[in-house]
Amino acid sequence: MEVTMDPLFLAWSYFRRRKFQQCSDICSKILADSPYDQAAWSLKTRALTEMVYIDEVEVDQEGIAEMMLDESSIAQVARPGTSLRLPGTSQGGGPTPAVRPMTQSGRPITGFVRPSTQSGRPGTMEQAIKTPRTASTARPVTSASGRFVRLGTASMLTNPDGPFINLSRLNLAKYSQKPNLSKTLFEYIFHHENDVKNMTLQDVVQFSSNIIFCVQALDLAAQATEHAQFKDWWWKVQLGKCYYRLGLYREAEKQFRSALNHQEVVDTYLYLAKVYQRMDQPITALNLFKQGLDHFPGEVTLLTGIARIHEEMNNITSATEYYKDVLKQDNTHVEAIACIGSNHFYTDQPEIALRFYRRLLQMGVYNCQLYNNLGLCCFYAQQYDMTLSSFERALVLAASDEEQADVWYNIGHVAVGIGDLTLAYQCFKLALAFHNDHAEAYNNLAVLELRKGRVEQSKAFLQTAASLAPHMYEPHFNLSTLSEKIGDLQSSYTAAQKSEDAFPEHVDTQQLLKQLQQHFASL
Amino acid sequence: MPEVKSIFREVLPKQGQLSMEDVPTLVLCKPKLLPLKSVTLEKLEKMQMEAQEAVKQQELASKEPSQ
Repeated sequence: MEVTMDPLFLAWSYFRRRKFQQCSDICSKILADSPYDQAAWSLKTRALTEMVYIDEVEVDQEGIAEMMLDESSIAQVARPGTSLRLPGTSQGGGPTPAVRPMTQSGRPITGFVRPSTQSGRPGTMEQAIKTPRTASTARPVTSASGRFVRLGTASMLTNPDGPFINLSRLNLAKYSQKPNLSKTLFEYIFHHENDVKNMTLQDVVQFSSNIIFCVQALDLAAQATEHAQFKDWWWKVQLGKCYYRLGLYREAEKQFRSALNHQEVVDTYLYLAKVYQRMDQPITALNLFKQGLDHFPGEVTLLTGIARIHEEMNNITSATEYYKDVLKQDNTHVEAIACIGSNHFYTDQPEIALRFYRRLLQMGVYNCQLYNNLGLCCFYAQQYDMTLSSFERALVLAASDEEQADVWYNIGHVAVGIGDLTLAYQCFKLALAFHNDHAEAYNNLAVLELRKGRVEQSKAFLQTAASLAPHMYEPHFNLSTLSEKIGDLQSSYTAAQKSEDAFPEHVDTQQLLKQLQQHFASL
Repeated sequence: MPEVKSIFREVLPKQGQLSMEDVPTLVLCKPKLLPLKSVTLEKLEKMQMEAQEAVKQQELASKEPSQ
């Protein structure tokens, strides 16, 4: 006769082994038998939370609504070096677009993407719609709730008989008096539940009211912990998180500050810095990080935070310094290695970049991006034997069409480098076949077309590239040169002006403009 | 190195005009290192994919009985 394990113990075991679905199923069974089993209830809540848990420090999605309808900014035009929104105002000698490609928000591309990278503010609504948020999604979320809505759908669908906890029926005051239940309940509401209610309505207002609901839950819980005379830092941090999601940054700041007074915790520093970054006060955030480092010397997350801010302010040299500090503490920090590596690549040291990327490979990072970077570094460091095999692997590992397109685009560069223009042509064509909006590939294809003497085709490609990526100077400049050659001075001039906007220091553009002005003056 | 005398001597034409023209050449876009993705971003994207799959499945399931 088989001895069965105690179901609750089994559920716990599943939870510890991160098999949340099984854990939740067992808890459901226990709850069906005895609906008032608090242990099972709490465990199921935790399992459901863990399924959709995302590190709140990392999540920083700025939707169009937040970007365009911003009320917390003080000045329209900030002084240089004090704002994250004017990427061009660096003093640290950032790389020019002539050597390092730019993202659409006008920053040099980084070696690492997080949910919040590329959060530079686009100037116009049109640009806002075009700027990609993540590596793969081409659109920004319409509001901060957008992502959560989509995530909530799945968890909703897995429960055919409705949500696990019906929040509107819950007597929050009662739960808030039980500290061992209230914390799990809060996390459930915060991470799991806010999506589910939202998904039927898909409405920002609903989302807000939903979060207010969340804040109410929190308020009640905070009142319940009043017997500690508001001395529980954990609840204050949670309150701050809620305010942050609601966009009430000043209130969030107050909560985090007060939580820090009770207990110094690294996480709280990170949340507070996030608030300052959202309020576009990078200097304050930097000071805060340094203050945090006084309490937690050598803390990697704080150092990374400093490096990220420097990087976002286009101050690549000091960002690299801080990333090196990070590596002194934690020599397997993927973000730091990737950022230093890409920085070396774009400062003409592909051999050193290669060492950093090889280190990542040794550490077990195994994906399309890494092999693509290895391939590029190998080629430019003249290790030709490894180049093509790296790219082959990158193609095999590519998870999406966009990645595939980027790899083919880079192979096209290798082909240009060895002078095989037919292969290059085919590569760029393939890049376009996989990703129809690949502006760089259009531009390079145009250059190749022009070499073959097909002026009209080349012009069409350049115009496409220019409309797809107005932030790049190359298509504008090429179009300007081409138009000048065929005698269309007016369009040459307008294109040259656009090129100058995208890259003011570009010498060839300046010369072209001067030449055109002479032409016009002599008319 | 200025002090080392080169065996090649530069040739400057003595007669006629020497003209140099700086022709602007077209520029290629630069090779693009792909940024690595953070764990959180990968998880978010995975969850999003799963959510989309789940919605698709459910839509299919809801269509079938009506047909």
